[in-house]
Amino acid sequence: MRPSDRIRLDPGIALRPERFGALAYSYRDRQLLFIDRSLLPFVGSDGERPVGEIANELVGRGLLEAESVPRLMAVLEGLRRKGVVHVVV
Amino acid sequence: MSSYEQLRQGLSAPICLTWEVTYACNLACVHCLSSSGRRAPDELTTAEARSLIDEWAAMQVFYINVGGGEPLTRPDFFQLMEYAIERRVGVKFSTNGTLLDRAAARWVASTDYVDVQVSLDGVSAKVNDPIRGRGSFQRAWRAMELLAAEGVPFKVNHVVTRHSLADLDRLYERVTGMGGQLRVTRLRPSGRGRLVWAALRLTQAQNRELYHWLRAHPDVLTGDSFFHLSALGTPLDGLNLCGAGRIVCCVDPRGDVYACPFVLAPEFRAGNVREQSFASIWSRSPLFLRLRRTEVGGSCSGCEAYGRCHGGCMAVKHFTGAPLDGPDPECVFAPDGRPGPEQLPISPRPIRPVFVR
Ligand code: SF4
Ligand code: SF4
Repeated sequence: MRPSDRIRLDPGIALRPERFGALAYSYRDRQLLFIDRSLLPFVGSDGERPVGEIANELVGRGLLEAESVPRLMAVLEGLRRKGVVHVVV
Repeated sequence: MSSYEQLRQGLSAPICLTWEVTYACNLACVHCLSSSGRRAPDELTTAEARSLIDEWAAMQVFYINVGGGEPLTRPDFFQLMEYAIERRVGVKFSTNGTLLDRAAARWVASTDYVDVQVSLDGVSAKVNDPIRGRGSFQRAWRAMELLAAEGVPFKVNHVVTRHSLADLDRLYERVTGMGGQLRVTRLRPSGRGRLVWAALRLTQAQNRELYHWLRAHPDVLTGDSFFHLSALGTPLDGLNLCGAGRIVCCVDPRGDVYACPFVLAPEFRAGNVREQSFASIWSRSPLFLRLRRTEVGGSCSGCEAYGRCHGGCMAVKHFTGAPLDGPDPECVFAPDGRPGPEQLPISPRPIRPVFVR
């Protein structure tokens, strides 16, 4: 996933806040996914801002370690491949 | 924290919420978990049922497992299900199939967010009907054909017993051959199941056979039925812990909330939705809070398989009188019990006519 990508949750997926982050349920394939708290600002961004910008802001506010950004991007890429999020074009 | 820990400590709303919409049933299966037959006089009205659905929608309950009794005996069944779906509460409903007609099959086919599961306890009338009632095999099969004709990816729920295990391969072939998916579940001594548990439960050798069969058939669903068998080796797919009061609960036709559909007993009743909101029962009932804190300890704590088996099913322990913090009575390391009686102590009654509009 590129820092300039903006992402949006698939409309067939419901996201429910939980202690650890959120549970995502796909009405399409009836799959349940655990979404870690660190992913929520991205998964819930509704395509409004590029993921890189969100990450920078979180790092700036001390909410995210700069070193963990590449791993986070890889996880988001995984969610994109699963069809949980889409890159807004 | 592992996802197991997250689940064990409970969630903001259930993942699997079973809603038994009525105790009325035109069958009287010998192992019925809810001892169904007659409608209870004080079942939730349509208006009460709707406000319950509103509450689930607000809590973002993703879907409900609708059962009974036979859900199709409720005259407002389709209306309530549509009400739920409109609010994005998905529906998975369980039926004995006898009342499922072409119109119902079409409704399932044309409605998003609806899944259906037909109960069948044998590959033939000879095995099925002594459990579910004379004629029930043929009528359930007819329902499957109707669903298949509409292209519905239906499921068949099979409670595996001592007499049906040998036919699993044939059942699997016939169900998948029709475009259905097989779900195999555990006989538990709940409801009337208590009376036939000794006669119908699998032997320990059969449990081992079942474990290997399930390992070889990963497309067969099992829910949370057999995680106690995961003690035998590689864990089976599916939920591997008891979710009662943590991720699972059951609302009965009167609005009583229980920890799970297999423990409809006063000890496991958390409250009633006529007296309290469902959300407050879910998040604050002393029973559910206690279940979320509980770890099975006892003689299981030293077991090397504990991480896969977690001590088994609370309902089976409760209704066999076993301590809840000890091993499942069908713990794979337990010796084989005495063989049960071969004759079923009670028999199903013939199908009763029910008029559904
Ligand atoms: S008590 Fe048994 S049936 Fe109920 S949730 Fe626990 S494991 Fe499942
Ligand atoms: S002793 Fe307990 S944890 Fe070990 S296999 Fe038996 S039931 Fe499971």
